[in-house]
Amino acid sequence: MKAMARDGMLLAALAGAGYAVAGNPPVNADSAIIQDFEKRLADYVQLRKSAEAALPPLKATASPAKITHHQNELARAMRRARGNAKQGDIFTPPAEMEIRRLLRIAMQPADAPKVRQSLRAAEPVQLHLKVGDEYPGHVPLQSTPPTLLENLPKLPPEIEYRITGRDLVLLDTKANLILDIISGAFS
Amino acid sequence: MSRFHLVSPRRAILFSLILAGAAAVAADLPLKPDSVRFAVIGDNGTGDRPQYEVAEEMEKFHATVKFDFVVMLGDNIYGGASAADMKRKFEDPYKALLDGGVKFYASLGNHDNPNERFYKPFNMGEKRYYSFKRGNAEFFALDSNYMDPMQMDWLTNALKGSTAAWKICFFHHPLYSDGKFHGPDTDLRTRIEPLFEANGVRLVLAGHEHLYERLKPHNGIYYFVLGNSGELRPHNLRASADMAKGFDTDRGFMMMEIAGDQLFFQTISRGGETVDSGEIDRQ
Repeated sequence: MKAMARDGMLLAALAGAGYAVAGNPPVNADSAIIQDFEKRLADYVQLRKSAEAALPPLKATASPAKITHHQNELARAMRRARGNAKQGDIFTPPAEMEIRRLLRIAMQPADAPKVRQSLRAAEPVQLHLKVGDEYPGHVPLQSTPPTLLENLPKLPPEIEYRITGRDLVLLDTKANLILDIISGAFS
Repeated sequence: MSRFHLVSPRRAILFSLILAGAAAVAADLPLKPDSVRFAVIGDNGTGDRPQYEVAEEMEKFHATVKFDFVVMLGDNIYGGASAADMKRKFEDPYKALLDGGVKFYASLGNHDNPNERFYKPFNMGEKRYYSFKRGNAEFFALDSNYMDPMQMDWLTNALKGSTAAWKICFFHHPLYSDGKFHGPDTDLRTRIEPLFEANGVRLVLAGHEHLYERLKPHNGIYYFVLGNSGELRPHNLRASADMAKGFDTDRGFMMMEIAGDQLFFQTISRGGETVDSGEIDRQ
């Protein structure tokens, strides 16, 4: 019940904010902020390629243990490679501001009801994660409404925007690792 | 002109089979030669007794129906994807089917680790979304957890490029549902339903709600929700004019058979009772 109330507040906040920004332009891929965001993601991907090259390649296998092992080893390698990675390294303050703006655009009145319904149907999760955490295996992954994804900057394969509680996180699905977080993106 | 009607008793062929130590089963599908036969399960991966009992029922029907493959509607493995989880929640319950050469094709649910795409017995080809062909049908497995523009582009091109007589999409989150717990994913529906309608998709299978529901067709598309092959949310269907048939008091699975321009379905409870059946004609 508590979760539902929080979810309701989140949705109300999103919808309310959306009215204030009606008419704003959607994502501009040429903007310096987005270019910087994409560059940071590309650097991450490059780092992951290097880390993965040191591991036995993961191919389709009948061994779940091999899949789990690869996921865990990759996560360990990435934590080591990123050293003191912290919140805001990818979602820099300007990028965060831009993402928040784009989220508000996605929730303009025309789209808000269906996005709201989608969020409700997605089995919302209440979870507070930190950069470098693994996404806990026993917690479902809330689906991200397509309208939000259409409005946000595109990500490289295997990196996803996910919603955890009120936060928007970047998840490396292959390493099952949280790369960055916008706290209270939905509050 | 699309038509939908129940299999008539005259046409139903009753096959009884006494398995060693097992009860007789009745498979009412036409069982026509050279037809495409498959089973459907959703929200199955609990590892609990009811999942095993549904699997045992599937085995009995497999002996008669000889379905070649199983379509999985997500939440294939609840609570983690360790080797122990995969064994208890997939390999053990479906061992007889797997040993019998039945292939499983998975889609990802919100309880699934996305890396399940590397698990060979799920036949996902290392991809979150993919398609495969059987006979005159093409199946499109979607990742409804994350319908990003890249997947939208793929789906658009894949549906447009398909020459299959039957285009069947399956994924986790239902576009239509009268389940009280989740309800339909309306944002997803707004995005992908127009693609289905524009490209001749005739059948859509989803899970997520822990019950069974057959919806009345929407613009010529038949929507089924089947999320009770392991989990169950009893008495969770709301009364609705949109519902053609509902079943929310036990677990179950489906069997389907495509024979030329006809698709037959039969929904079976954990106890072996047929709770719904019918025929869909290709437009």
